[in-house]
Amino acid sequence: MARRLFQYDPLISYRFIPCLKARVDHESGGYLFKTNTLGFRSKHEFNKCKEPNQKRVLIFGDSFTAGDGVSDGKRYSDILENMLPNTEIFNFGMPGTGTDQHYLIWKNFAMDIEHDLVIIGLQVHNINRIIARYRKYLNKEGNTILLAKPYFELDSYGRIQLRNVPVPPEKLSIESLNSDQLEYIERTGRMIWLRSLIKKLGPSAKDFAQRLVRFQPLEAYNTRLNPAWLLMEAILQKWVSEIEKPVIICPIPLYQYIEQISSPNHYQERFRSIERIPKIFIHDPLQDFLQFPYNIRREFRFKVDQHFTPSGHKVLAESLLKSIKPLLTNNSTNL
Amino acid sequence: MINLLGISCFYHDSAAAIVQDGEIIAAAQEERFTRIKHDSTFPRNSINYCLEEAFLEPNELNAIIFYDNPIYSFDRLIKTFINSEKSIEDQWCKAIPRFLSSKFSIQSLIQDMLNIQIPVYVTRHHLSHAASAFFPSPFESAAILTVDGVGEWATTSISFGQDREVETLKEINFPHSLGLLYSAFTYYCGFKVNSGEYKLMGLAPYGNPVYVDMIYEHLVAIKSDGSFRLNMDFFGYLDSDYMTNQKFHQLFGGLPRKPETMITKKEMDLASSIQKVTEDIIKGLAKHAKELTGSDSLCLAGGVALNCVSNGILDNSKLFKNLWIQPAAGDAGGALGAALAASHMLFKIPRKLNINKDSQKGSLLGPSYSTYEVRAALDQYGAIYDVVDDAKERAFRIANAIKDGKIVGFMNGRMEFGPRALGSRSILGDPRREDTQAKMNLKIKYRESFRPFAPSILKSRANEWFDLNNDSPYMLLVTTISKDKRKSFNKKELSNNNLLNIVNIPKSTIPAVTHVDYSARIQTITIENNSEYFNLISAFESLTGCPVLVNTSFNVRGEPIVCSPDDAYKCFMRTEMDLLVVENCIMQKSHQPHNQPDDSWKDQYELD
Repeated sequence: MARRLFQYDPLISYRFIPCLKARVDHESGGYLFKTNTLGFRSKHEFNKCKEPNQKRVLIFGDSFTAGDGVSDGKRYSDILENMLPNTEIFNFGMPGTGTDQHYLIWKNFAMDIEHDLVIIGLQVHNINRIIARYRKYLNKEGNTILLAKPYFELDSYGRIQLRNVPVPPEKLSIESLNSDQLEYIERTGRMIWLRSLIKKLGPSAKDFAQRLVRFQPLEAYNTRLNPAWLLMEAILQKWVSEIEKPVIICPIPLYQYIEQISSPNHYQERFRSIERIPKIFIHDPLQDFLQFPYNIRREFRFKVDQHFTPSGHKVLAESLLKSIKPLLTNNSTNL
Repeated sequence: MINLLGISCFYHDSAAAIVQDGEIIAAAQEERFTRIKHDSTFPRNSINYCLEEAFLEPNELNAIIFYDNPIYSFDRLIKTFINSEKSIEDQWCKAIPRFLSSKFSIQSLIQDMLNIQIPVYVTRHHLSHAASAFFPSPFESAAILTVDGVGEWATTSISFGQDREVETLKEINFPHSLGLLYSAFTYYCGFKVNSGEYKLMGLAPYGNPVYVDMIYEHLVAIKSDGSFRLNMDFFGYLDSDYMTNQKFHQLFGGLPRKPETMITKKEMDLASSIQKVTEDIIKGLAKHAKELTGSDSLCLAGGVALNCVSNGILDNSKLFKNLWIQPAAGDAGGALGAALAASHMLFKIPRKLNINKDSQKGSLLGPSYSTYEVRAALDQYGAIYDVVDDAKERAFRIANAIKDGKIVGFMNGRMEFGPRALGSRSILGDPRREDTQAKMNLKIKYRESFRPFAPSILKSRANEWFDLNNDSPYMLLVTTISKDKRKSFNKKELSNNNLLNIVNIPKSTIPAVTHVDYSARIQTITIENNSEYFNLISAFESLTGCPVLVNTSFNVRGEPIVCSPDDAYKCFMRTEMDLLVVENCIMQKSHQPHNQPDDSWKDQYELD
């Protein structure tokens, strides 16, 4: 592909190149998108002031929110916008990022923007990203490279401290890292040799193997004292403390939960536990996915790519609508 | 809105093109994306780009049109094998599976890529060429001549285009092919078939056409209607992997020249001779097209239409009042022709004809890159650049550098569709300087070439500098430099075998673009064609009084022309170019980190 999609950003690590018009060749048949002048995948320019009588929702998240795999107009944020009268939705989704970076996007690009509601589309896998300091990517030649990312650490008072900013722009090779640094490459699972073998056998074999072993993809949610969860909790707490309006945290499930390969109990329990924080509303969409039969649920992701298909985005949008509507109504009444 | 995607692939250069309601929106060759010269594979990247440019979902396409009919090509393949007298089992084993797994799989490849069922139509190879030449032309009706190696059975066709229709009037069939005849001499003279033909054309002016009679006596017979037949006893392409055979070698006194060895007087004379024969055949075919159609206008396409010397002679002959040549005359242009043919002939979309201007859009139909994209790419390499937003300041800064003898890589706007760099992806130099040609060849292109570079000139000044009858926006006509600009030189040097001695003798006031016969492959520039390039040449003229720049394609030898800012910067850093301009960013080589040229490109690109 001749077109580059991202540019270096010293705070976030990277973001979309502004004013892009791009098509990504993909197993979906390819998807089209545009970015605005700020470098986000949105048809809106992110003006600070709202029009009178207009409501505005800011959405943050990773590739599931940015809409990898689907064209503009088919993402859950776009579908929601069509469902909500007089409401514009600003999508700050950024592929490959974690909740730590989403918080930085809020601080750097969004906090001054007038709004009525914030949605954090928290793909549950993000818990592995916030403890990572490097993320793996495949370059054009198909070689694995590493990009550094910003990250937070908890100090002795339990406060988050930003590290690694400005983010070094250099692309790194795995070989260039020492053994300590290697620990901080984003985890994509254990037993790499087994996963690569199963991957070669195709998506059906992968599904079968995961079912067979009752695969649990995210151990960090298993206990409330897990360091990754403590960091997640602290980031969310700090972030929400800076937001005056209501905040919906939507734990976006991995397909293993949607297809009932793995148990969601641990992550659901963790997110329920932070509902005690003022202004936070947890919207768990899993139940809305599970009401469909398995063969339909399998259609919510692509054959190989785990991202949502347009039908997956639609279910998520319809699910979120139930929480958004009352909050937007109450919020505007309060205003 | 009728959206049609044309595809050409699996033979020569693969490409895709998209046409909306008869308007050309985008077209690009696959090689520019994959960085494999003449890439003939399924044009996945080109299709992706075309849909991106049109911003269309696959389900918004009304149809996809493949540029030739695989059944006819298969028929030719089978019958050729059956009729061959020699044992060709090896070739059969190679060719048939290759054919079946490529051309017959087009529907499934499209479905696999776009994940949707779309009607896929096939057209005829020479109809695609003819449509690519006629529909974008500024003519209401025209004779159309298409000449190439082979497509299905046909190698040559004469058609008549009027309004929304193209009617094929006559065809010459395989194995009688002017394209393959020229390629046979290309091969025999030690150049690569399907890419070295333009070198043979460039070599021709050094020689004398001493073999013309021999060629007519033994190899080709021309009939009174312009058609021709080859004597297949002398060619190898029917029953071997080689273009020529033992009899051909005996006729011309020896084995083919080995690639990269010294070019001798014999090759120069052979080049001159086959060029003369080509011109004769083209003139004969054009004359017959005139007789059949009575038209004042002629359109050309097919690989042989890239022979700009022959085009120039046809233009000068005044046989036709008007001439228009498809800039992507080879198979890549077939993608565009297929989409246009379906658009007008199948979907009956009326042509939006403008008799003053063609609808090829300057052939700038490929991707462009915003300044954001350019800077994102350059920053990745740690490039040091100045951003010069003011267009006039930018033009003068670049023009001044060229005036001072600097060689400039110049990338702006949309990429060209077709084999020629037209000022959007070009390397530029000062044509007045005696060292420009050698510097560009040795330090940038890394070759010892006998061919001068092409001149780009402001259209308004073209008649002062060249003997030009027609506009030449696509660098497809060769003409001669005006007499008052010429310099005399000792023609005895032409009998010398060392071409490089002759090349470096100044033959005009613009030596870098003047061939040994005072000819030049000219490109005329208007502000409508390419405003950025026009402004640059205008600035150069106001500094020097010379409205001409040397224009060669932005690549190293064997590399496809650059497409993206990444390609441009890599190519710049690999060579001894002095300055790189990508949109509004200007870079000096001496300011760049790691500014030593590297020759890693030699591992990446096969020499052409």
